Amino acid sequence: MNRRDLLALAAAGIAPMSLSRVASAQATDGIEFGAPFPMSGPFAVNGKYGELGVRMAIQRYGTVIGRRLAYSVFDTEAKPATAVRKVQEAAQQKNTKFFVGGILSPEALAMGKEVHRLGGVFFCYSGADEITGKECNSATFRWPVPAYGAVAQTVRPLIEAQPKAKRWYTITAQYVFGEGMLAATKDVLKEKGVELVGNSYHSLAEKEFSGYLTNAMAAKPDVLVLLNFGTQSTDALRQAISFGLHKKMTILVPWTSGLEQFQSLGAESTEGIYFGAQYWHSVDSPTNRELITQVTRELKVTPNYTLAAAFICTKCVIDAIAKAGSTEPKAVISALEGMKFEGLTGQEQIRKEDHQVIKDYYLLRGKAKKQMKDADDYVDVVSSGQSFLSVEQAGCKLS
Amino acid sequence: MSVYLLQTVNGVGIGMLYFLLAVGLSIVFGLLRFVNFAHGVFYLLGAYFCFEAVRQGMSFWAALLVVPLFVAAVGWVAEKTLLRHVYAKPHEFHILITVGVALIIQELVIVQWGPLGDSVAVPTGLEGVVMWGDFIYPKYRLFVIGVTAGLAVLLWWVLEGTRLGSAVRAGSESPEMVSLLGINVFRLFSLVFALGAATAAIAGVLAAPIRGVEPFMGIEALAVAFVVVVVGGLGSFTGALVGGILIGVVQSVMSTLWPEGARLMIYVAMAAVLLLRPNGLLGKGG
Repeated sequence: MNRRDLLALAAAGIAPMSLSRVASAQATDGIEFGAPFPMSGPFAVNGKYGELGVRMAIQRYGTVIGRRLAYSVFDTEAKPATAVRKVQEAAQQKNTKFFVGGILSPEALAMGKEVHRLGGVFFCYSGADEITGKECNSATFRWPVPAYGAVAQTVRPLIEAQPKAKRWYTITAQYVFGEGMLAATKDVLKEKGVELVGNSYHSLAEKEFSGYLTNAMAAKPDVLVLLNFGTQSTDALRQAISFGLHKKMTILVPWTSGLEQFQSLGAESTEGIYFGAQYWHSVDSPTNRELITQVTRELKVTPNYTLAAAFICTKCVIDAIAKAGSTEPKAVISALEGMKFEGLTGQEQIRKEDHQVIKDYYLLRGKAKKQMKDADDYVDVVSSGQSFLSVEQAGCKLS
Repeated sequence: MSVYLLQTVNGVGIGMLYFLLAVGLSIVFGLLRFVNFAHGVFYLLGAYFCFEAVRQGMSFWAALLVVPLFVAAVGWVAEKTLLRHVYAKPHEFHILITVGVALIIQELVIVQWGPLGDSVAVPTGLEGVVMWGDFIYPKYRLFVIGVTAGLAVLLWWVLEGTRLGSAVRAGSESPEMVSLLGINVFRLFSLVFALGAATAAIAGVLAAPIRGVEPFMGIEALAVAFVVVVVGGLGSFTGALVGGILIGVVQSVMSTLWPEGARLMIYVAMAAVLLLRPNGLLGKGG
């Protein structure tokens, strides 16, 4: 199966599959999952892979505590207000208690609050520190390393590897995720005595980055950092390459959206570029090997971050339902708190005090095309590690 | 070189692409009084057909010639089979049918090429950059400026200096009179619609090596095209050129002055023009 077939599967399968599954779940007293993803707009690609990740987990288990699993996906349009409305509809019309999704931080923050108000469980994979920090709540869990850790595991090792690179420039998406990444980057640069010579904010709707790149050129930095996500970081990086900036400075994308970004850019554009990643398919762990086997068998593709994150979030909730022996949200939350599990990146644990999953983050470097061993072998893993704010530093007080 | 001068040059480059994107929309409205919300998908098709042609081994240069003709044919067929049946109806019908066509084509693109974006390599000979002091500018973007400038002259000549152009201009004033003169107005409509689709497709082909291809690029292109024609004046060729460059320069210069508002400013510029000159900078009085 190629990407065309995958899309046919994703696009054609979403509505009928989810609807039929909802019907069967209701008919047999099943357990219903809500999968709120941006299925349209600039982040639709991420949403479609997220849906596949939920599907893989639901398909693998089929049932839990003797009850059939089902899910329905709904389009958040990457808008917090729409996302909240869809969550409310799912809770009221389908009695959905468990939600997995929330790729973008603003929608994840909004949905987390709403699911908390409705008395459900929400497992998300957005990046803003606030989700398991000042805005945390007892219903919300988060798998990926937040902005602080992503920056610590990419900016810090790059500074150490390139001690002569003293001038850094950032291009930042102006919303909660970008702001968090920028704040964390400033902290690390200040601590290391490195100068931030400039920053250009851009809106969440931006597609044309040549103006911001011109700003960066004028500042003559040694390192350019792209603090945005998804197609925006793809577009920004593609245009930076066309301006030849990769030959004049080091480029770092601390939060890549994963394999699909490399497939979209091609090895010619990613060679020599540094990326930060939550997940990479070559990580050798039992759970990752199982996921790769399942996804390559059923979808004929290599799992990317979005798919993998949705899978592991769904799996965690299912495992917690099994552990609790109940679908009562409070019991499931108790089961999730402190849960240790064999995750995609090795041993992972959900921190009880703020519901943050403690896991590795990776610094990658793009390979030359001729060095790739297979079609998806785009990078070398430069380093990996764990960096998290303490619960006190993050400011989380679960309510 | 001052960063503002750099941004102005860059803005002209962006604006020329915006002009090409918008000129077809403007001409079609000028002649047909038809609001074409499907215009963005012709840009989308141009980019994807270019991507596929290059993937199949065709040179970029051949794609630049062939793809617009192919998309023009798609536009011709759409106009003849669907769109002309609603010309006489209110604008709501135009919007309804063209949004429908746009969504269908967009979803077909997803089914055919997948939800992921992809890249189109910069054509051989245009890789790399040109340097003026500290200023770097991609050779390919300079090429795009040159090509769009050439096309602007060609289009101007077609519209102002040929019999076809006279018919188009006359048709935009009074289609009934043109019809009485023995010109097949419906064929003229089809031709202009195909021309509009072709210009959008050229913009798509030229944009592909800069921005890559992704299934939702048509929506963004449509939004920009509408801003340009509203600023320049609906139905005005020169207005599309002035509007495109103005919007490109505003966006680029604002990237330095107020980066977070650069995107917003193109809409602010549109609102300002609407307030000061409701028919656009070069639009005809209503």
